[in-house]
Amino acid sequence: MESLSDTKWDVVISGTGLQHSLLALALSRSDKKILHVDHNEYYGGAEAAFSLQEVDEWHPDSSTGTFQNVTLWKDDADTSSQSNKLSFSRAYTLTLSPQIIYTKSKLLGQLVSSKVYRQLEFQAVGNWWIYNGEGPPLLKRLPNGREDIFRDQGIDNRAKRSLMKFLKFVVDFENQPELWEADSECSLQDFLSSRFQLPPHLQSIITALTLSLDTPGRTIVKWALPRISRHLTSIGVFGPGFGAVIPKWGGGAEIAQVACRAGAVGGGVYVLGTGVTNAVDDRDKERWRIELSNGETVGTKHYIPHSGSANGSNSRMVSKTIAVVSSTLSSLFVNSTEGSPLAAVSVVVFPSGTLHLEEATQDCPVYVMVHSSETGECPAGQCVLYATTLYSATSKPILDAALSSLIKSTECSDARLLYTLYYDQQEDISSPCDLAFDDRILENVEEQWKEAMGSEGADGSSLFMQFEERRGINPDDDNDDDY
Amino acid sequence: MASDESLPTLKILMIGPSGAGKSALLIRYCDDQFDNEYSTATIGVDFKLKKLSVHGKPYRLNLLDTAGQERFRTLSNSYYRGAHGVILVYDISNRDSFAAMERWFEEAETNAMPGAVMYLVGSKLDKTAARQVSADEGQRLAEKHGCSFCEVSAKTRENVRKPFVDIVNAIVKDPKLLSAGSRRGGTVAVGGEGEGWGSGCAC
Repeated sequence: MESLSDTKWDVVISGTGLQHSLLALALSRSDKKILHVDHNEYYGGAEAAFSLQEVDEWHPDSSTGTFQNVTLWKDDADTSSQSNKLSFSRAYTLTLSPQIIYTKSKLLGQLVSSKVYRQLEFQAVGNWWIYNGEGPPLLKRLPNGREDIFRDQGIDNRAKRSLMKFLKFVVDFENQPELWEADSECSLQDFLSSRFQLPPHLQSIITALTLSLDTPGRTIVKWALPRISRHLTSIGVFGPGFGAVIPKWGGGAEIAQVACRAGAVGGGVYVLGTGVTNAVDDRDKERWRIELSNGETVGTKHYIPHSGSANGSNSRMVSKTIAVVSSTLSSLFVNSTEGSPLAAVSVVVFPSGTLHLEEATQDCPVYVMVHSSETGECPAGQCVLYATTLYSATSKPILDAALSSLIKSTECSDARLLYTLYYDQQEDISSPCDLAFDDRILENVEEQWKEAMGSEGADGSSLFMQFEERRGINPDDDNDDDY
Repeated sequence: MASDESLPTLKILMIGPSGAGKSALLIRYCDDQFDNEYSTATIGVDFKLKKLSVHGKPYRLNLLDTAGQERFRTLSNSYYRGAHGVILVYDISNRDSFAAMERWFEEAETNAMPGAVMYLVGSKLDKTAARQVSADEGQRLAEKHGCSFCEVSAKTRENVRKPFVDIVNAIVKDPKLLSAGSRRGGTVAVGGEGEGWGSGCAC
């Protein structure tokens, strides 16, 4: 077989995480010779998705340190009912990236204009729930738009007026700097209280919409307002009753794989289980010399390294638990808006201090993404919970408490934990710790694309992520055959 | 007459080692073309569409090629999503390509949805002088995996339609398999032009 070093590569990309895979997609219609490698045996990097067996075989590279303290637990109770026990390995696709994608994200537009959306199935992120720790009810559904707020009898009229005033402001906050710029570094809670006289329980609801991993005190106005605005203006874009979607079969992992296939269709060469061990910038020849872990050395004009951890002090760490539950938790998937699609994901927010533990205080909020079996991530009759909180010495018991409180509050008597996978994850430049897809990733991709494209990208002869349909979709290719 | 868009779509994959003749078979079947020059990999072919009627009922075949990802065995799980059938191709004039088939069966059986129809094809039947794998061996391997088998030549057109017609016949006999590949109500259309290629109701 022809060796990799025989080719003069234009671009070598190391890593098949979401950002690097999107770059491969962006370059897939260029005539560049692209070598795309990953030291893992699987696609997706920090956004990979695994079967149960692949989780067993998952030994995160301790030298990069992205994933640490991986702890696996399996229920070994012997029961006869199918939904009451773990199914076969491949029946599960547990994703390391359960991020939601807001309908306003540019990612969706780029997946459409690059035509790869045809290989993806998007599902709605439906209800949002907030846990109040006192109850009853322990879980309260977040209002899904203005009509919902009007109908909500749990909010008194004065608070309703304040809330409506805030919502009207926040969707247009950019044009009203006089109302918030002086407070931009203040905590969102203080801002909501002093400027809009919102009572504490409405402050919690608004804060929940930011998906902030930080304590309320550190969730500041200038960061929070665009996120609240994004949440509200995303509702209804692709249909009533939801403002975010996820791709079926493992979210970011599926996009990464589909993007890599587009890269391969464009002529890119894919090698897994092969990393870059050394990269030398040979300035005289304007080429990189890349040593691969399979012993080969290749030359390339552009080199996109596997991204390291984000710069020092800003780099955060989150703790996550993935749990398989023996119930559909159907009470979380109520259809509240007429004409809305069946949601595959519900979001449950545990604001700071709502979980009561003996050994720890819950300073940071916990978020649980509940994925139904419609996501293809688990068999029918079960669901997968993805719990996330900012890392602390006690984040594991806090996540455990969130999961058991969630199961208890759904009042689904058949619900039991069958499987949990805990890990800590270090933030990475290309994989920010955010529960919603961060459009800044697309800016990075476009920048890298421009650099690799050189003049073709700059003079407008090639447009970023704007592609024609591939041959094959053309109806002229259809020939009627009779049997 | 229903428009092509509304026809039930069957997703059929081609897999097998590099140089086995997957693309040649696909292009001969879909476009009735054959390129004598040896090409190492297939660039630019994402999938091919072909209308095929079985017992008077038309189907839209969505035929996917490996796009060179078979070379280092880096086909992704997502390639196999929703596939109703998998055509495994080896070269009858290349012993190694036949020897690799066990691993390709294993990969297909692991990744394809339960009940997906497999079909084994020995290609380059025109190269009988250089034959290294007997038809008997091919037949036995197919039987071992409970699937059908034939030998084809994309060059001479011999048997080119047979694997496609046979596999579609097997797929449409299984209503459960047919409906398993169709999209369900929960899918959100994010594109401006309706849903993707798999949206046709397969009932």
